[in-house]
Amino acid sequence: MKIAKAPLPLLAAESAAVVPRHVRRKPKSYWALRIGAGILIFYVAVALLSLVWTPYDPLTPGIGDGYDAPSLAFPLGTDRLGADMLSRLMAGARYDLGISLTAVAIALTVGTTIGTFAGYYGGKLDTAILRGVEIFQAFPGLLFAMLVVQAVGPGIVNVILVLSFVGIPDYLRLARVEIHAKRHWQYAEAARMVGNPPWRVAFRHLLPNSIGPVLAFTSINAAFSALVTASLGFLGLGLGPNTPEWGSMIARGQDGVMTGQWWVSFFPGLAIMGLTGGFYLLGDALSDITDPRRRQ
Amino acid sequence: MQLGRMILRRMLWVFPVAFGVVTLTFFMARVFNGDPTELYVPPEATDALRAQIRARLGLADPIPIQYINYLWDLLRFDLGISFTTGQSVASDLWDRLPATLELGLVGLSLGIAVGIPLGVMAAVYRERWPDFLVRGVTLGGMALPQFWVGLVLISIFFVSLRILPGPVGRLPIGVPLPIKITGFLLIDTLLAGDPALWWQAVRQLALPALTLGFSTASPIARVTRSAMVEAMQSDYIRTAIAMGHGRRVVWFRYSLRNALLPVVTLIGGVAGHIFAGAVLLESIFAWPGLGQYALQSIERSDFAALQGFVIYASLLYVLAFLLVDLLYMFIDPRIRA
Amino acid sequence: MSGVLLEVESYSGAFWSPTNELVPVLHQVSYRLKAGAMTAVVGETGSGKSLVALSILGIQPPAFVHTGGRILYRGTDLIGLDEKEMRSLRGAEISMVFQDARAALNPVFTVGRQLADVYQLQHGGGRSAAMKQAIEALRRVSIPEPERRARQYPHEFSGGMAQRAMIAMAALTCRPSLLILDEPTTGLDVTIQSDIMELIVELSRQRGLTTCLITHDLGVVAETCDEVVVMNAGRVVETGTTEAIFTAAVDPYTRRLLAASQLVEAAA
Repeated sequence: MKIAKAPLPLLAAESAAVVPRHVRRKPKSYWALRIGAGILIFYVAVALLSLVWTPYDPLTPGIGDGYDAPSLAFPLGTDRLGADMLSRLMAGARYDLGISLTAVAIALTVGTTIGTFAGYYGGKLDTAILRGVEIFQAFPGLLFAMLVVQAVGPGIVNVILVLSFVGIPDYLRLARVEIHAKRHWQYAEAARMVGNPPWRVAFRHLLPNSIGPVLAFTSINAAFSALVTASLGFLGLGLGPNTPEWGSMIARGQDGVMTGQWWVSFFPGLAIMGLTGGFYLLGDALSDITDPRRRQ
Repeated sequence: MQLGRMILRRMLWVFPVAFGVVTLTFFMARVFNGDPTELYVPPEATDALRAQIRARLGLADPIPIQYINYLWDLLRFDLGISFTTGQSVASDLWDRLPATLELGLVGLSLGIAVGIPLGVMAAVYRERWPDFLVRGVTLGGMALPQFWVGLVLISIFFVSLRILPGPVGRLPIGVPLPIKITGFLLIDTLLAGDPALWWQAVRQLALPALTLGFSTASPIARVTRSAMVEAMQSDYIRTAIAMGHGRRVVWFRYSLRNALLPVVTLIGGVAGHIFAGAVLLESIFAWPGLGQYALQSIERSDFAALQGFVIYASLLYVLAFLLVDLLYMFIDPRIRA
Repeated sequence: MSGVLLEVESYSGAFWSPTNELVPVLHQVSYRLKAGAMTAVVGETGSGKSLVALSILGIQPPAFVHTGGRILYRGTDLIGLDEKEMRSLRGAEISMVFQDARAALNPVFTVGRQLADVYQLQHGGGRSAAMKQAIEALRRVSIPEPERRARQYPHEFSGGMAQRAMIAMAALTCRPSLLILDEPTTGLDVTIQSDIMELIVELSRQRGLTTCLITHDLGVVAETCDEVVVMNAGRVVETGTTEAIFTAAVDPYTRRLLAASQLVEAAA
């Protein structure tokens, strides 16, 4: 290491010894945030575009002969029934993105609300809620979703409700822990002393100060929801059989995989990876940014 | 002393969890799924026959009575009879357990064996290309659906390259199982003195285990990485460096042990899920384990089987975390006190 | 005895700011540590005194960038050394005691094991011989029941006991020529502070160590040190013998510092 002679900007990463916690490394350029957000914006754009334009009608079979390999006419090939894969993939963005985002929004709202109440008031109700959550979390999440969707039947609303229900306990716990830790901090006491009613102290003063970890989790949770949506679709439990949802598209291509027509299952998997990967990147970046130890 | 009390409390916690989970499943299954009798009678059956079958399935009583009956049976360790297999649920679960355990153990071991070193490597080369590579690959491992990875592996190794067998379960079609001793084929085939059969079992296991290993290694590597990075920034690592310890000692002896705590928690959670049967994975590879059993019981409204499985899965979950606590005490002396 | 063991020469450095610019934090810092003497580096928090000390051992934070100057140890520029050469100096030639000893010891290994590891690293030999040496070192720093204490973990030590163990590790199981102590008594009870300082002085005398004491506590400095370096905002503002600094300080900042500490003492 010839420190004195080397150009300066290279050095921060090179002298990799020890960072005391209060000192930042060379600051990140937030590339994870940018890529993650970029991917998600792309998916939203595709979903919106698919409402007005797709190369072919995604729901019409028989456009190709069936199992057409990727070509100029069908860039991603066609499935067994001859429906265009690219069109179906584009339309699928509406379903997978829409379902996971809506489910997460519901879970976030309901979970943090209950969690804030439980954390702020504490006491027996809080304990009871926590115990209930612990029991519910011992229940395998995917199995719960399968059980309910199988029972109430396929449909977008059902899938969304089940997914949000599965997500609620995590938000509840996160919000509860944050609020519980902060409810006796000085600014909360101060807010109380000047006459704010309890709900206002909890939701206007405490919650905004606690939302960072919750938001970071939201992104991770959205990735999980997208994966469960696809899993339900794969099992044929999620939506109607001809719905261009990525998981059910993979299932439809399963036979083709065995006979060499890999593209029918392959591309929807990539689409799922992009979406969940985008959510994960965003979540990682958000938890980096909102980590109180790294915040200064 | 205190340690013993804590473990005991943890173990007693199994009972309320099991009770809660059983109750939840019982009512959910019945309220949502309604009457499964139709699945088990021929369409032309008379009402009298239907009633008879309904009674045989234990569905004639009002739901609260059914619930009390079920709890009473549970207290005598009777999980009931599966509608579909006609066997007792306990013996069904017991039969399928080894397949799930075998796949789970091999997959999880692969995941740990690959994930932890990758995580350490990423932390050591932080913000340089090995780190970016590990983070990229593991991001993919978390973002890809397990069933898709399985299909792609089948498409590569079975369909294209033809070097591994297709997804037909634990042994090739038509090959009889060895005499059941442990239930683990990798062990039973050797006990039977049949290395050729052992090799066949290994080849059948390869793809599902790889799939499972890939998707478990990814979160393990990521958590290892961030825990290592944090440990390497600590005061005690600065001390170790100041005393002249070399890099390897600092990384593997002084940092890794501290970094293992969150990794152990994660592995506990992952193990709880894996041993409850990876439903989709087993369904793709026609693996005759608990996951398939659960899926089937949901599809066929097989109440007793479903409840039995859920009890098993939730007990496993509680046990996994008990084990994590014990490991914690082994790793971190601060908790032992 | 009057030779110079370590010389910091116009040492300058900067930190990366959150906006990716270099913010200078050390400005041409220069001071000398005389062999066999005890030198105090005094300054407020953030004056850069610890940063220079960490730079001597090559364990400065990665966000810190060296922008100029040299650090000469026995005439060799430490900044030009590669990692391997630097490592052979750490512990063997230069060793360091840190501020919060309980955090500076590894929580998952026994105190005895950590000392023994360092002993084996520096002097070789078997595990059990090293452990014997570790216990001996703990006894030398007046830790009662060293055999039992060696089997305990850092969290079972009080702050003062942990600092004694840290000193045993840095000064006894390592056999350095230069011992740097970074605020070794900060955060400890007042009576324990003076015990620790006594121990440090006794060990340095006995072993003929060159000692560099980094502190903000001028009371400690007056009683123990031979030379004083005063730092403020990344600059050395004054250096001299303890007597000269305490009786005839020239720099206004040094005077303010002295006045403040006397006020505190008067009030206490």
